[in-house]
Amino acid sequence: MTDLDDKLSFLLDDHPGENADANLDEVIADVNLQYRMRRYHMIGEVMRHVLPQAIDTSFHGNVMARIHDDNLQQNAGQPLTETPARSASILSWITLKPFAGLAVAASVAMLTVALWQPLKQESGQNDDSLVSADQQKIQQLAKQQIQGGVVTASTRVQPFGMRWKVERETPGLQQKLNAYLVTHTEYSSSMQSLIPQARVAGFDSQQ
Amino acid sequence: MGTNLLDAELVKRVQAGDTGAFDILVQKYQHKVINLVGRFVSDHAECQDIAQDSFIKAFRAIQNFRGDSQFYTWLYRIAANTAKNYLASRARKSPGYTVDVDDAQHFEGESGLKEYSNPENLLLTDEIKTTIFNAIENLPDDLKSAITLRELDGLSYEEIAEVMDCPIGTVRSRIFRARDVIDKELRPLLE
Repeated sequence: MTDLDDKLSFLLDDHPGENADANLDEVIADVNLQYRMRRYHMIGEVMRHVLPQAIDTSFHGNVMARIHDDNLQQNAGQPLTETPARSASILSWITLKPFAGLAVAASVAMLTVALWQPLKQESGQNDDSLVSADQQKIQQLAKQQIQGGVVTASTRVQPFGMRWKVERETPGLQQKLNAYLVTHTEYSSSMQSLIPQARVAGFDSQQ
Repeated sequence: MGTNLLDAELVKRVQAGDTGAFDILVQKYQHKVINLVGRFVSDHAECQDIAQDSFIKAFRAIQNFRGDSQFYTWLYRIAANTAKNYLASRARKSPGYTVDVDDAQHFEGESGLKEYSNPENLLLTDEIKTTIFNAIENLPDDLKSAITLRELDGLSYEEIAEVMDCPIGTVRSRIFRARDVIDKELRPLLE
């Protein structure tokens, strides 16, 4: 019989007494005291007939093992001291996070380029050949549509995206070009927008 | 039988990150939780698993426990809900009666467990009960009265002192000595 055993009994009955924190610290730190406390609980449970018919002596150990295995201390949200491994993990994530974004962007860009190349090959022509062919067709159409007139508008095909830019200060050319587009759009049932219509319609008319 | 102060202090420590304090709470309430879950699930192994899950859920959620209710009421509610969810997920029926979570703390008496995965545990439990009852029978009358009034009748130290007409210090000593004598008989069984 020790003084602490007596305090343990007193503590068990919810009488913290003096130095309750210190006593509790000792119980938490001392496995033998915990076992004694558990036996004291068991005595009361047997007397009240509430002890299960088959107790599992490993139950408490299993619960605590699962808590430790699941690393639940960190999930409980209390201010635990972070382990070096966890700190390193957080640090590495913070460091690598911007690079992860760059890696994703680079992957998307590579995928886009990889998909774009086969599409270009399927068309059978590259951009330069398309521009060249279109330039010839436009020049021919201009000759047909603007018969005998002085053509001040440039029919030179601009670089990609600029090929249909004409000199708007020439009303005659603009009007005729518009009439040409409208006329040929009527026969372009499969076309989706005006610019491609004009180009392909010109091609169709040439055919 | 008041257990608020010790529980509140232990909960506070767990919330501050002391896992060892939760260890004591598990040891204190493990059999009560198992008994409660046993009202819902008759299989011993399943009952043990659900009880374990209940404690782990309680540990995970203990930061949310604000002390509005007593800890064991909160713990029993978690255990009852865990058992009910288990039954719902397995589409099984309870053993024929239901337990209101608010009344769960008052459940005492025979456990509802019907099946035992380990006969050794059953034998050990019987031996524990026999040993404790024999030890109580052999206690001196003053110790037997003190421990009985405390554990069986749930009287406070002040009430026991009044009943036995002795100082509270004497009550404290008698209760401890009774426990110590019984523990000396019990300890070899659990080592």
